[in-house]
Amino acid sequence: MNAQSTGKVNNKIGAGESAQDAGSTNTAESKQATSRQLIAIIFILAIATKMFLLPIFLIRTTGRDAYIAMAIGGGIDLVALGVMIAAMYLSREVDFFTLLSSTIGKVGAKIAVALIGLFLFFKLNTAVAEILAFYGNNVLNGFNVSLMTIVLLVFFAAVGVHTLRALCRLNELLVPLIVACLTVLAVIVILTGFDLANIFPSLQNPESFTDGLMRHAAWIGDFTPLVLFMGRTKLKKSTGAFAAGAGAIGTAVAVFFTMIMSAAFGNVPMLADSTTNLSNILQFSIGNVYGRIDMFSSILWSISVFIEAALFFYATCRCVAFVIGKNAHFWISLAVTVLVYIAQVFALADRTLFSLAVTSLPTSAVIFAFTIAVPTLAVTCALVQRNKRNRAERDS
Amino acid sequence: MTTKKKLIVYKILLFAFAFLVAFMPSTVSRSREVNSRVIVEIIGVDGGESVSITAQYVMPTEAQGSTSKDTVTVEADTLAEAVEALNTALGRRAELGHCSMVIVGKDASADLLGELMSSTDVTADVYLSAAEDKASDLVGDLTAFMKKTGATDADFIAYGAQKAHVATNTLLGFLSDLGSASESAYIPLVEMIQSEDAGQGGGASSGGEQGGSGGSGSSGGGESKGGGAGEAQPTGMKVERLALYNKDGRAGILDNTAARGVAWVSAPVEKGIVAADVEFDGEDIKNVTGRLLKKYVNIKVKPYSATVKLKAYIEPNGDKFNALDADKSGAAKKAVRDGFAKAIKEEMESAYRTASDMECDPLFIGRQFYRFMPKFFSQSYLPANVNVEFVVEVILR
Repeated sequence: MNAQSTGKVNNKIGAGESAQDAGSTNTAESKQATSRQLIAIIFILAIATKMFLLPIFLIRTTGRDAYIAMAIGGGIDLVALGVMIAAMYLSREVDFFTLLSSTIGKVGAKIAVALIGLFLFFKLNTAVAEILAFYGNNVLNGFNVSLMTIVLLVFFAAVGVHTLRALCRLNELLVPLIVACLTVLAVIVILTGFDLANIFPSLQNPESFTDGLMRHAAWIGDFTPLVLFMGRTKLKKSTGAFAAGAGAIGTAVAVFFTMIMSAAFGNVPMLADSTTNLSNILQFSIGNVYGRIDMFSSILWSISVFIEAALFFYATCRCVAFVIGKNAHFWISLAVTVLVYIAQVFALADRTLFSLAVTSLPTSAVIFAFTIAVPTLAVTCALVQRNKRNRAERDS
Repeated sequence: MTTKKKLIVYKILLFAFAFLVAFMPSTVSRSREVNSRVIVEIIGVDGGESVSITAQYVMPTEAQGSTSKDTVTVEADTLAEAVEALNTALGRRAELGHCSMVIVGKDASADLLGELMSSTDVTADVYLSAAEDKASDLVGDLTAFMKKTGATDADFIAYGAQKAHVATNTLLGFLSDLGSASESAYIPLVEMIQSEDAGQGGGASSGGEQGGSGGSGSSGGGESKGGGAGEAQPTGMKVERLALYNKDGRAGILDNTAARGVAWVSAPVEKGIVAADVEFDGEDIKNVTGRLLKKYVNIKVKPYSATVKLKAYIEPNGDKFNALDADKSGAAKKAVRDGFAKAIKEEMESAYRTASDMECDPLFIGRQFYRFMPKFFSQSYLPANVNVEFVVEVILR
């Protein structure tokens, strides 16, 4: 029986079961997420931050080739997703933290998780900065950003003190709404004869394209929080295929909408800014004849970014819990929210500096390394443990 | 803490949050907030040595239904300063995000429109209209017309985009077209139909009549436009011609025929009336009409030649067609089809020819070369070197 179900909290992590306890609110026996929830989360991770402001950033640097950069980034993430799914199947019963501790030792595992936690914290702050930039300049223009940050962090904190299953359930409720909104947007685009041919010609300026591509790796690695699903998801035979399909469809959707935005702003890339989103684009060729339908849809789909950011927050908290060896989720969530608040309101207040830092080559290189390293680490540990088990079985 | 106590704490926190949201300062001062803003519905932009902005605005007040529509003109060295002067002139913050139309004066440059989109709250999807001369005059006339008819918003261009054969454009569309390889863009020219009868209608003046802080007494140097008894009064609008732009600014104005040609090729119009002279049984029948149902345009490019192919689905209607097609032999239909095809082709050719004389490419043939033959475009493309052929296929429904 796990710690949560008995109403007890392990504040002191002992040897052996420590990893499972600190890395989750539930221990090893519980399967917190269902296959459907995993698939829904993967779909959201594939589209959320990739469709939010990234297309605009890419358009400003690569012009009408932004969709190609998006496809390459999405492709790298899909490879990472494939490796992550393989790791989940290889380690159906043991969660990531336990796996890591068993393979590279407790100290090594803590160092690795601390680094992963830092990576997730960075991803969290990038997502939060985007949310604040978009809503602060556009939808909630005039609303105090510091107050907006607090409201957002209250939501994150609520997620942090709950289980992975709770976040998955919330996501499960929202995914149909998000899919419906995106369908409405896509249908409007297709029916109104949007001039998609404006994405041509491709790669007329290879230097700026390569530079733009190299500088935006901070937006890959979106599937990294899936390590939390290792050993904690009820995997069926077909789950892997559906999960990969959800990732592929999500990536295709992100590339499709980036194509639309590339076509809309391909001739005038410098006019795209953080207040620009799909709502501006859909009326590009026909004007505002659909009233508020598309506006409504374009705002609603963006709640997926909140889910993704919340998952980054949750994963960061769980990494901290593992590193400090305590299950004090409330206090950890509180501490992380304070850190995010300080980062957003004080340290990253200058959005230009933040943007320069995020799009620098060293940052991109580090994020790319983590995107590849985390799933590789997960699958390697899972393979090592499986081989150990097999050997033990043979020996016995 | 027991679950029961926790629940009580959560409930208290929830009520506290709801209380905070409901009574936070900006909510409490909502009425004052409304009074501190003014909604701009139409903006007129004039260029030249200085930038002039004319705003048609609505002043919301606390009392329900008591809004006033008026205009104010401000002038400054830059657009940003002009927008700031607008706030000062109105004594409130001018909300540009609700603006549904931007009217572009003869001397307003495309750069001004780019600045309008990137540095103000004016949205990318706002419709553009061109004034033949000063945008401020057209905004004044439109305001008078809207007051007279009781129109509450300026969405008549949206009507044109949907229901009429008018090549409309949005702010982003215009800037994108101008930034394309064709370096050309169009804006529908709005003209007022005037009546000399000064005694008609209540909205004799185009500004100032209903007062408001944007009137002649505005503090920011604003100039309220007023009309007087005996002046011509706007009784309607005409949107038949197109103002053409290239990288140097406004290049000229296309007449009705050429403007229709642009709409066939470059605008997403799918409605509107088609009229043509039909030759049948050796007789010329004038103005046989039909309604456009759908159209498909395809521009194919090869080195030194381009083919603009249009496929139009048209439903013929009217007594003239019924009389021609009385025997249902099919011969009349063929004649009407040929007549429509010829008329459409003439309109397209007129658009291409007239625009070429103005060094504009509103059919975006150059852009097509850039998209699909970028090497040819950069090395050999010149509009004069390209032979353009127009092919029209009409399908009667």
